Amino acid sequence: MVNAIKGLLISCDIPMAQFIINLNSSLPASQKFIIYKLDNTHLFVQPTVGEMIRSAISEFRDQNSYEKPA
Amino acid sequence: MGHGDKGRPSKKHKSSSKDVQKSVMMEDDEAAYYVEGFDDDHRDDDRGEGKKRDFSNLELKPDHVNRPLWACADGRIFLETFSPLYKQAYDFLIAIAEPVCRPESMHEYNLTPHSLYAAVSVGLETETIISVLNKLSKTKLPIEMIEFIRASTANYGKVKLVLKKNRYFVESPFPEVLKKMLRDEVIAKARLTNECLGEDGFSISKGLHELESGHNGLLDEAELAAAEEKESHSFEIDPAKVENVKERCLPANLNYPMLEEYDFRNDTVNPDLDMELKPHAQPRPYQEKSLSKMFGNGRARSGIIVLPCGAGKSLVGVSAAARIKKSCLCLATNAVSVDQWAFQFKLWSTIRDEQICRFTSDSKERFRGNAGVVVTTYNMVAFGGKRSEESEKIIEEIRNREWGLLLMDEVHVVPAHMFRKVISITKSHCKLGLTATLVREDERITDLNFLIGPKLYEANWLDLVKGGFIANVQCAEVWCPMTKEFFAEYLKKENSKKKQALYVMNPNKFRACEFLIRFHEQQRGDKIIVFADNLFALTEYAMKLRKPMIYGATSHAERTQILEAFKTKRDVNTIFLSKVGDNSIDIPEANVIIQISSHAGSRRQEAQRLGRILRAKGKHQDRMAGGKEEYNAFFYSLVSTDTQEMYYSTKRQQFLIDQGYSFKVITSLPPPDSGADLSFHRLDEQLQLLNKVLVAGDDAVGLEQLDEDADDIALHKARRFSGSMSAMSGANGMVYMEYNAGRGKFGHGHAKSKPKDPTKRHQLFKKRFG
Repeated sequence: MVNAIKGLLISCDIPMAQFIINLNSSLPASQKFIIYKLDNTHLFVQPTVGEMIRSAISEFRDQNSYEKPA
Repeated sequence: MGHGDKGRPSKKHKSSSKDVQKSVMMEDDEAAYYVEGFDDDHRDDDRGEGKKRDFSNLELKPDHVNRPLWACADGRIFLETFSPLYKQAYDFLIAIAEPVCRPESMHEYNLTPHSLYAAVSVGLETETIISVLNKLSKTKLPIEMIEFIRASTANYGKVKLVLKKNRYFVESPFPEVLKKMLRDEVIAKARLTNECLGEDGFSISKGLHELESGHNGLLDEAELAAAEEKESHSFEIDPAKVENVKERCLPANLNYPMLEEYDFRNDTVNPDLDMELKPHAQPRPYQEKSLSKMFGNGRARSGIIVLPCGAGKSLVGVSAAARIKKSCLCLATNAVSVDQWAFQFKLWSTIRDEQICRFTSDSKERFRGNAGVVVTTYNMVAFGGKRSEESEKIIEEIRNREWGLLLMDEVHVVPAHMFRKVISITKSHCKLGLTATLVREDERITDLNFLIGPKLYEANWLDLVKGGFIANVQCAEVWCPMTKEFFAEYLKKENSKKKQALYVMNPNKFRACEFLIRFHEQQRGDKIIVFADNLFALTEYAMKLRKPMIYGATSHAERTQILEAFKTKRDVNTIFLSKVGDNSIDIPEANVIIQISSHAGSRRQEAQRLGRILRAKGKHQDRMAGGKEEYNAFFYSLVSTDTQEMYYSTKRQQFLIDQGYSFKVITSLPPPDSGADLSFHRLDEQLQLLNKVLVAGDDAVGLEQLDEDADDIALHKARRFSGSMSAMSGANGMVYMEYNAGRGKFGHGHAKSKPKDPTKRHQLFKKRFG
């Protein structure tokens, strides 16, 4: 019988995949969200974490970009 | 503004009110309606901002099309560079305002008290500034601006301190100002009253005609009227009390800052130095202009001249010395540039070999004759510790002599306290500071205004590029994605101190670097400089690629040898430099720079590094716009994406962007098909490299520390860089030769001979000695 897991497929570039993996491993076991690491650029995660990942990445990117003070 | 073709995905696309307002200003009335509507929408959230930046009520003059600039009430001025009056307007604006941003077709300037001080000191008067500005402006001048100019210039430049025949005079065209000053106790005491006096009690002399012709045409009537037949009143003060009088005049006290001028033609006390410019030394137009600001009224003014690197600052310095024809003390930042200055003096002027001497820790040449040029470093003069007998004698001579000109190179790098020291040690009639980049991250630039003098001239980089005076540089930012393994380590918390080493050693970056070196060496036959601040990276890269490198610990002799080989040998086409190469190492042959790591967000460093390749190359006509080689110099900055380096990189570029440069982003380097040609192709090689980075001690991967770095707080407040114990104790030996003696006095205070604090002793020793 086929076992179906509902989840979210994330496809991104290599560094961002690493970022998500790092995020995942920094959480306590109960909150880990990665179901499968498919390959370097694809991850299969819990369906509920999409927004959380998005905001974590945007915060990370903010830290790395410079805006000229007006 | 000025981001050029840099298509960086901006996260919040910020159509800042500045841009909006600028576009408003470009178009006419139609746009003004638009801005009103715009304001209605946003009235709630940014009312204050909108009010300050809403200039729609400024009245346009009927013939505004013919006028080149917009003046706004908040002190900002925008100049259209395509206007036929651009050249004149530019010369005028650069004299009265601070350039903020100068891209191709629209310049932004800002009126500040300092810039107006500079304007007054080159001889412009308040009313002249207002009337010329009004003539050039498309709109009626806002009242706020006029008031601002009046208020800022009311006291500036009214009083001059003049050294004539070694007597100090306080001079002013306004007797009432002098009277007011004399009411001050300190100044009254300093006054010498043994001369025959005019009716007011001041000696009066018919004023000198302002010889300035820079703003002709525009300034015509107003300036001529002001400059002609000016009477100047003066009283003499006690030379011993000059410092006190000067201090009383600063804004904190009487608020009549004194301008210093040197009437060198009438100085009969100090012996003349027999030197002329050689006939082949032809100053370029902008060099002439900067000199004319300095010698505007037949006297020499103190101040700073800002020219891009490679635009011939040394010729300006030598010309100034040749015009004053008195003893000259020339200060440079390090021994290499001391040699270069000495060479420049001999190259451009008729000075004889025995009249010029170098004074560094390596070469102590004694000063002969009664007038001459001494070239030395800031450190040698400011050093306060014990010296060898020989250098003590020389420094004594420097102290006792009266210098006609104090020529200071790279004034932006020297910390203020060192300047104070140098200026207090040396008695000079006139001070000239030279620099390419008047920016510092610690905002200590304003100190220079009072220590040396106002900015006399600043050249526009793009105009010099167009004129073919400096190289036309293609700037590029090469984006290197982090490899999987390196990025994983980068993200780990325990590696926070190694972040820099990790993004610099990113194998993709290494490959991009190797590819660029190969391409430029083999395809174009270029000469390449690779910059790396991170010593670990510098050594790794240089060893792997088998190229010579120079860093702090490299001895003077070895440096000279490597640079010589780079200049002359055909098989040495690439050198690796740490940040010792940032300033004033003159390598005219190089035309490609690859930057693999840098000092955080330092705008100055970026500009200085670019300056290494700005010296114009090739035939003049080829370099002009549309010539055979439009770009003949290349500046690559390698950046690992998704890391802090992106932040720093954008910040660093700001200065150059403000000068009108644009950075092109390159994403596909090295080309995907390059494969095993380049190093670190295989995963196991990459892992080996990663391991090396991780194993290296924290101090080994940190930044190189030089004594020069005492300034420049380029880092983000919250961010800390790994300090290194061995560097602190001098174990790395990364110090300049010439600084050895001076250590512990300035810079990072190397704790070499510090007496031990008994409370800090280890328990074990405490017991024993305690």
